[in-house]
Amino acid sequence: MDVTQALQLLMLGIALGGIYALIALGYSMVYGVLRLINFAHGDLIMVGAFLGYFVAKAPIAEGLPLPLRFALVFASAMLGCAMLGVLIERCAYRPIRHQPRLTALITAIGVSLFLEYGGQIVFGATPRQDLPLWLTEQNPLMQIFAVQITDKHLLVLGGTFTLLALMRFLVLNTLFGKAMRAIAQDMTAAYLVGINVNRVIALTFALGSSLAAASGVMLAMSYPKIDPLMGLMPGIKAFVAAVLGGIGDLPGAVLGGFVLGLAETVVGYFASGLRDAVAFTILILILLLKPTGLLGKGMVEKV
Amino acid sequence: MLLWTVTTMLLRVESVDVFYGVIQALHGVTLEVDKGEIVTLIGANGAGKTTTLWTISGLLRPTRGRILFDGRDITHLPPHERVALGIAQVPEGRRVFLNLTVMENLQLGAYLRKDRDGIQRDLDWVFRIFPRLAERKDQLAGTLSGGEQQMLAIGRALLAAPKLLLMDEPSLGLSPVLVQEIFRVIRTIRERGVTILLVEQNAHMALRVADRGYVLETGRIVLSGQASELLANEAVRKAYLGE
Amino acid sequence: MTTGRSAFATVLLLALRYSLLAAVFAFLWLLDRAFAAQLDPYAFYLLRLIGINLILAVSLNLIMGFTGQFSLGHAGFMAVGAYAAAATSKWLVAHSPALAHSPVLQSLVFLGVTVLGGLAAALAGLVVGLPTLRLRGDYLAIATLGFGEIIRVTFVNLEAVGGARGLTDIPPLGVTPLTSHFLWIALWAAVTLWVIYRIVRCTRGIAFQAIREDELAAGCVGINTTYYKVLAFVLGAFFAGVAGALFAHDPDQRYINPDTFKFMKSIEAVVMVIVGGMGSLTGSVMAASVLTVLPETLRSIGEYRMVLYALLLIALMLTRPQGLLGGWELSWRRREEISPDDLEQPLQPHRPTGEPLLCLRDCTMQFGGLVAVRDFRLALRDGELVGLIGPNGAGKTTVFNLVTGIYTPTAGEILLDSRRLDGQPPHLIARWGVARTFQNIRLFKELSVLDNVRAAFVHRAGYSFWAAVLALPHQQKREREIERKCLALLKLFGLHERRHEKAKNLPYGDQRRLEIVRALALAPKVLLLDEPTAGMNPAETQAIMLLIKRLNDEWGLTILLIEHDMRVVMGICRRVVVMDFGEIIAEGSPEQIRTDPKVIAAYLGELTGVETTADE
Repeated sequence: MDVTQALQLLMLGIALGGIYALIALGYSMVYGVLRLINFAHGDLIMVGAFLGYFVAKAPIAEGLPLPLRFALVFASAMLGCAMLGVLIERCAYRPIRHQPRLTALITAIGVSLFLEYGGQIVFGATPRQDLPLWLTEQNPLMQIFAVQITDKHLLVLGGTFTLLALMRFLVLNTLFGKAMRAIAQDMTAAYLVGINVNRVIALTFALGSSLAAASGVMLAMSYPKIDPLMGLMPGIKAFVAAVLGGIGDLPGAVLGGFVLGLAETVVGYFASGLRDAVAFTILILILLLKPTGLLGKGMVEKV
Repeated sequence: MLLWTVTTMLLRVESVDVFYGVIQALHGVTLEVDKGEIVTLIGANGAGKTTTLWTISGLLRPTRGRILFDGRDITHLPPHERVALGIAQVPEGRRVFLNLTVMENLQLGAYLRKDRDGIQRDLDWVFRIFPRLAERKDQLAGTLSGGEQQMLAIGRALLAAPKLLLMDEPSLGLSPVLVQEIFRVIRTIRERGVTILLVEQNAHMALRVADRGYVLETGRIVLSGQASELLANEAVRKAYLGE
Repeated sequence: MTTGRSAFATVLLLALRYSLLAAVFAFLWLLDRAFAAQLDPYAFYLLRLIGINLILAVSLNLIMGFTGQFSLGHAGFMAVGAYAAAATSKWLVAHSPALAHSPVLQSLVFLGVTVLGGLAAALAGLVVGLPTLRLRGDYLAIATLGFGEIIRVTFVNLEAVGGARGLTDIPPLGVTPLTSHFLWIALWAAVTLWVIYRIVRCTRGIAFQAIREDELAAGCVGINTTYYKVLAFVLGAFFAGVAGALFAHDPDQRYINPDTFKFMKSIEAVVMVIVGGMGSLTGSVMAASVLTVLPETLRSIGEYRMVLYALLLIALMLTRPQGLLGGWELSWRRREEISPDDLEQPLQPHRPTGEPLLCLRDCTMQFGGLVAVRDFRLALRDGELVGLIGPNGAGKTTVFNLVTGIYTPTAGEILLDSRRLDGQPPHLIARWGVARTFQNIRLFKELSVLDNVRAAFVHRAGYSFWAAVLALPHQQKREREIERKCLALLKLFGLHERRHEKAKNLPYGDQRRLEIVRALALAPKVLLLDEPTAGMNPAETQAIMLLIKRLNDEWGLTILLIEHDMRVVMGICRRVVVMDFGEIIAEGSPEQIRTDPKVIAAYLGELTGVETTADE
């Protein structure tokens, strides 16, 4: 393998990592507030991808200039998933908010199964490959040291970092973000200072779900095939990325996403069969060596 | 006389029943707090004192009875709307947001308020009562000592500009020095026109600062009266003052 | 057998028990014959599937329901068992043609192969369990999910067992002229149920549920939590491996590939445990039956079937998260009650020597930049009752956590007699003689009052799990002894009437008392009490204080007592240590403390002395 190939591989890894990072960001938002592993997050990716697909194929979108079409696809997928996320929270998660974590986890698995099998009925089980080819032609925009950087790469990276910056600002600097952190810390006390807890949580779900939708559309553009089960593995892997970076820590989630994307691409290059084991091996290593994650801060258990 | 009662009454809890699952925690609890008063609620652990405060704040819903605040039926309002009306609580065990700074905790206390000037005024006031909070305003709340966290919890509640302040065991686990300090602060808060409903294990101190008191036993109000009467009451002295 | 029952009677009893076993076996065989002859093949296949799922669900229930360790990788263990067994039997059949001619030999080989599958899975369980069981809750769930997937990916890449194609033509060794495959499944299902039932019911097995209820408290009553968690994992994996072996050899299956044991398979097992009820074996059996048959009967509605399954799962969690049966268990035998009237004295009086017993030397505990305890020194003499007071956050509980091994001091050493305690795990420290209670009561809430006390006997049960599974006489005798001891202790504190109630249903004061009983059941040298009167009114406080004084006076027990209420401690302690901001600020007799200017300035305040004297 020469230097060019290596760099090309690196670029591939970063592109994949960017998508993981985006999914992990959404995961972390929800986990940060509710301490809930939202298994359905992965399936929201799938729903987002399908929504984007249908909008892109709709006659209205066909007539628009490309940037507008683009914006329309992303906006509608994100809005649709935001609404679905709020609905899921309202119907499935809110009633069990004060139940043990295990109950919440099982419910999340139930929601995930529901979306997957429901998706098979609504969208059909056979994968769709006739995606509008806007970005998949890999047309290189520029070339740095013989590494081709395509518009897809730019979109994924630009989108990921813009959204990270936005979310970080929201969580750290706005009153809404303070309310989110307050709820994560002590929900009862949050009620007592007058925070409308239900609304903040619903909005958090809306945000997390729209991030899932955005990553779903990007995933669909990068790997031009979508099907109702497509979200399961990226979802679980993004959770691994979030744990790797330090769950609940937003820059950590993004870092974890990139590390995972790179590791998977590199291992996949040398031994494609082992690709799917990479994420879990990393997960187990990190849990054993540094359970708080790369950027997470340790918390002392109260006795 | 009746008219006078109506105009000065701030809170009325009326024959309230509260359940945890199948276990009944409150049995027809009725109590009143007038404007400007300090009223204390004393009782043993598990008697239902915290349950009463949580019900007033809207964290628990009564299955029977109603709660009136400032002439309004608030029985079915969610907690944040009650805060907006002027009911703030200093919860048992302080419950400050440990991962947020002192300043952020105080800002969250004023979460529902829009009057910047008023917030700044109250903030200055809180810092005057608790100068130590001003010194540590950029520190994480988790790094404060127990006493300082209690001050922060009180300050956070005061920033909601409450008409009624519910305080749940503010002296719990503090050294006697700090207990005296907290009770001094309670008097200061009242002087500013805030009505206080105080739940205390330390019945002695509570009855000395309060105007009136209620005694709660296994979810029922068994005794009520002027604080001085309760202090003199034989049964109260025996069960709650350890004499 | 030392006394009482003669050897002859014992032998007779055992013979009776084992003939019962033979009867069960005969019954299952007759059932097998009847089913094989009468049942429609599809129904028979379903019945076998139920049996396999039953083994899976019951074994996972040991891990999840009883031990409280959430595992999403059970299918991985099933895979290991299935592959190990199938590969072995394929090799055996290929290399020894004689096998097919002897039903007896074939049956023995099949039995061996299923055990082998179980052992392979148990080994995998050990490898997975040792590192991951340090994790909790969500993290453990995800780590086990990860291991499940790693196991699957490993098989995909293992060409020796067919890679992604898997193993085909697995010989149906369970089918002979005399038996069908069902017999083996039924037998293993019976064994699984019996073993796990016996194990979780005996005193040693209380360990599993104690860990589920409160791992930290379990360690502090002498339970080696790591050992029991790994044991649950290994045992659960063993039976899952057996289930895998049985599944692979089913005459209607005979084929496995890595995809057979995907994540979804683990989920199915989890759902069975949850639906049936965590910690209910009866529930697991029911759920395994219903959830095997239900999807089959719903085949007519096609793809809506799985959507319905998902919705049912969500609906169940919303309406009955504890599962259909909760922790309820079918039981057919009334336990013989021990009368609380003739019980021996539970505590042996101890004549204090007055020698230093527990010594802390310059102990410092630092969390990140925060110093919780600094240079703490204390020598507790045998027979002493010492009070440790100070405001919340002063570091009193941290001192207890240092002594009981929950934290390891950043600097300094802790000695009991002459044995170093620092750096040792809580369960060893508890066994060596340090017992404690907790400020915010940490009972095993869902366990009965009696079982809470029995938990302190786990490490002194004096029999092996084999003895418990086989219900050997010495195990049964020991169980009665332990129960008598527990009851005697409970009686001393007036709790024996409520021995069958769940700990969480006791009134507050009784819960505090029960925690003290549980600590005393360890027969400790030193008792650490963390605010035993917190939340009690003056009258209740008085009663508890008298009791503590009695423990010290009558039985010579050495006690270190945390309180923040001065008056309580002053009454019964001859020596008091005052802490503030992690440091000792004063030490001495109550009189000295009351007048110590440092204590007055930092802790008591100027007014207190005046006030208390004026009031009383």
